[in-house]
Amino acid sequence: MIEFYILAFVLIASAIFVIIASKPVYSVVGLLVHFAALAIMFFSLAAEFLAVIQIIVYSGAILMLFLFVIALLSSGVAPFSLGSDRLPKIAVPATLGVVVILGFLIYGLAHIPAVFQPSPVAQSASGSQAGPVGAADVFGSVGDFGKALFTTNLLPFEITAFILMVAVIGVILLAGESAPYVQSRRRARIVEREMREAIMRAGEE
Amino acid sequence: MSLDVHQMGIPGSYPALFVIWLLPLAGAIACWAFGPQLKRYAGVLGSAVIGAAFIAALVSWNIATQDSGSQLGAEQHLFTWLQGFDFGLLLDPLSLIWVLIITGVGFLIHLYSVGYMWNDNAIARFFAYMNFFVFAMLTLVLSDNFVGLLVGWGLVGLASYFLIGFWFFKPSAVAAARKAFVLNVVGDVGIMFAIFIMIAKVGSVRFADVFANPHALDPWLFWTCVFLFIGAAAKSAQLPLHTWLPDAMEGPTPVSALIHAATMVTAGVYLVARCAPLWLASHEAQILVGTVGALTALAGALLGIAQWDIKRILAYSTMSQIGYMIMGVGVGAFSAGVAHFFTHAFFKACLFLGSGIIIHELSDEQDIRLMGGMRKRTPVAFWSMLSAVLAISGAPFFSGYFSKDQVIYGDIEHGDLWLWAIGLLTAGITAYYMFRLFFVTFMGTYRGDLKPADVGIETEVAASTAAIKHETSEPHAEDHTHAPAWLMAVPVAILGFFSFAAGYVMLPGNSPWAHFFAHSFPLERLPASTISEGVTTGIAIVMLIIGAGIAYWRYATPEALQNAPERLKRESETLPAILVRLFYWDDVIDWLFVKPSQKLGDFFGQWFDPHFVDGVVREVVFSNRFLGTVVRSFQTGLLRAYALIIVFGAACFAVYYALEGAMR
Amino acid sequence: MPHESLLPVALINYISLSLVIFLIGVAGVVLRRNPLIMLMSIELMWNAANLLFLAFARAWLNNAGHIFAFLVITVAAAEAAIGLAIVVVVFRSRENVDVDEVAILKG
Repeated sequence: MIEFYILAFVLIASAIFVIIASKPVYSVVGLLVHFAALAIMFFSLAAEFLAVIQIIVYSGAILMLFLFVIALLSSGVAPFSLGSDRLPKIAVPATLGVVVILGFLIYGLAHIPAVFQPSPVAQSASGSQAGPVGAADVFGSVGDFGKALFTTNLLPFEITAFILMVAVIGVILLAGESAPYVQSRRRARIVEREMREAIMRAGEE
Repeated sequence: MSLDVHQMGIPGSYPALFVIWLLPLAGAIACWAFGPQLKRYAGVLGSAVIGAAFIAALVSWNIATQDSGSQLGAEQHLFTWLQGFDFGLLLDPLSLIWVLIITGVGFLIHLYSVGYMWNDNAIARFFAYMNFFVFAMLTLVLSDNFVGLLVGWGLVGLASYFLIGFWFFKPSAVAAARKAFVLNVVGDVGIMFAIFIMIAKVGSVRFADVFANPHALDPWLFWTCVFLFIGAAAKSAQLPLHTWLPDAMEGPTPVSALIHAATMVTAGVYLVARCAPLWLASHEAQILVGTVGALTALAGALLGIAQWDIKRILAYSTMSQIGYMIMGVGVGAFSAGVAHFFTHAFFKACLFLGSGIIIHELSDEQDIRLMGGMRKRTPVAFWSMLSAVLAISGAPFFSGYFSKDQVIYGDIEHGDLWLWAIGLLTAGITAYYMFRLFFVTFMGTYRGDLKPADVGIETEVAASTAAIKHETSEPHAEDHTHAPAWLMAVPVAILGFFSFAAGYVMLPGNSPWAHFFAHSFPLERLPASTISEGVTTGIAIVMLIIGAGIAYWRYATPEALQNAPERLKRESETLPAILVRLFYWDDVIDWLFVKPSQKLGDFFGQWFDPHFVDGVVREVVFSNRFLGTVVRSFQTGLLRAYALIIVFGAACFAVYYALEGAMR
Repeated sequence: MPHESLLPVALINYISLSLVIFLIGVAGVVLRRNPLIMLMSIELMWNAANLLFLAFARAWLNNAGHIFAFLVITVAAAEAAIGLAIVVVVFRSRENVDVDEVAILKG
């Protein structure tokens, strides 16, 4: 029970930090802490698969994306050149945050079986019941989740794939090659054709 | 309420009625539609149409007088609109008299107009209007129900408006036409209220149903009569709605003759005579009508003394004579009142048409001070008008003598001494001013070459004696020929003859007149009157001699004729102001009604409309603009503002669902 | 039926926590001018919803919550990608990275 309140405090504090940070990179770090705490919270809710997905996808991919864009847009902004000055400011809160997170991660992993007990009447939609973490076919396990995803909810899954494809295409179109290149490409082809014809005419002479 | 249908005339199919009624309408439409092609022949067409209607009316004599005991005359059903609203035509002796006068005298006046309007460019329009008027008047007298009568009433008012304002480029004519129309509308409203009462109480507007039981209108019987009389007073130029008649002389002279002397202004008399059962059932209404008639007769005569325009003198004399008729039918002497209408039509039309000859001869001069000596120049007018003047003054052997005496005697027969006395007094005054007109116009030497100031004409004069120099600025026809003289002379002569002879049908005793009307009016048993008819006649003749004598002494003695210009000038200057200002009646009406109406109109036009009506529109515009500005302020283009709005909307949703859940 | 005994604390706590994180995310979107911070705040909001989904899934032992949370993560990723692409395109050639300067939808 106490874990919940500590985790809640961390979540709220990091969220507030995200929105009040003066630099975008600070916000990314804050968001990272937030996601980690959230993953632990998911663990406490017997959603193991999703907790791991949260860390891999959200913190691993999306936040990296944010960082790349920050880098792209921060060219010419002065603070990034002051690299060494940054560190002391980030270091203390980051370290503390990492410590807290790790601590909770360890504590949670150690105590999770004791957080919730399997209820005799509990039965999930896919027939899985509550059980210890890591066990197969209990509620929240990978197997249980996979079974639900690929049988009952196959259509949403396929649609998700579609959404991702749309996103990829959209990003490429938006931020992809710009017009002059295409024009220059066409010009290149025209030039190429003219050259070929000149050579052929030269060859006939 | 159950409604048994009564009949006034014997119902049936009478094609002659349609001929009489619709032929003038056809003539009007033809003259109007083909005016430019017809030119002067419109006059021929118009007169022929009225003549044909007259012949049809003569032919209908038999069906008009057929009597089946309870029903008299011919009734032709036209159509039924609602229960109680059956429209039809009724030709009984009362309406036949009016039809004969309208078409007969009308025909003579149409013929005269062909000559009078010979050089007027708009002659076709004139005859279209005249025929339309005849049609409207026939609608009025031939209807067998009050609504048809009201339709005819309104249409004759309209025709009068058209014809008074015929020369519409004269502002005075337009103003006079408007004045006539407005006052007539007052009368229309009166009749409408009477019809409302009839519908409410009796459930029907047909004459037969209403007259079957006048007391069904109780307790509104008196007011029904009053409302009807308001209509009659407006149309017949009785006090207090008489002011339009003198101004109506702005129209061409034939118009004055037909409409404002012989026919339209007698519509009120027709109405009262037709509604005899109602009047007989309400004694108070009779007193009212009789008194108003008498006072009008006296007032008209008094005002006639002070006029110098020949047509205005005749207008006031019309007003006065109609006062006689109203007085007659008001006290219950219906036959007498109608008799006076009959004779009056002849001599008044004769007087107007004769004066028209003089006006035409003198190139549109209408002030009698600039006339004189017309006896040699227009002999036809002289002799005809002499006959008419003698008739109107009640000289023995002339028609007016018979009818006017009947009216005056009828007063005393019904027990009203005051009216009798006023009638006799007015007879004297009538004789005076008619002979004044006659002597000043026809006797002596022609004064037209004198300067207007020498005979007392001031250039700026009050409305009553305004030298209406009749600027006939109507475009003259290219071929400025003269009309054949007989066109104007013959009708006047015929009318002059009838001014003399028309009375002979009314000889006392078993006269054809009494026989004709034997069953038209409810019989009354009257007590023997205090003063016999002989005494009445004697006093009347005495009044005639006094009046004519005074006129002769003032205007026609040899020395008077010699000093005519000075005498006239002196008289012009010494006329009493009250008479010159027409008893200040026009000023009172102006102060009471016209000025407040103008103020009200100004109020609405200048203040209310811009502030409220326009203001509402402006408010709509303003509020739209305001709302638009408010909404536009949302479109900041700021991403964050839009996000906030979305959040706000989402929050509302959340709150709603939370509350909904909480309710459950 | 909520099997509250399955949860470490009562369900109401998860609801209020989720709400608080969501509101913080909203505040971030509205109050910050940097588009990247705004996108991050949107991520906060997604996660608040995820938390709620999983809490209820656990309480009711219903897998649908997991599935939906999975979908949420996927869509959030896609949206973040596209949003960042837009940010890159719009602010590539600008001096400052300020959303208020891109008010061309004004009026």
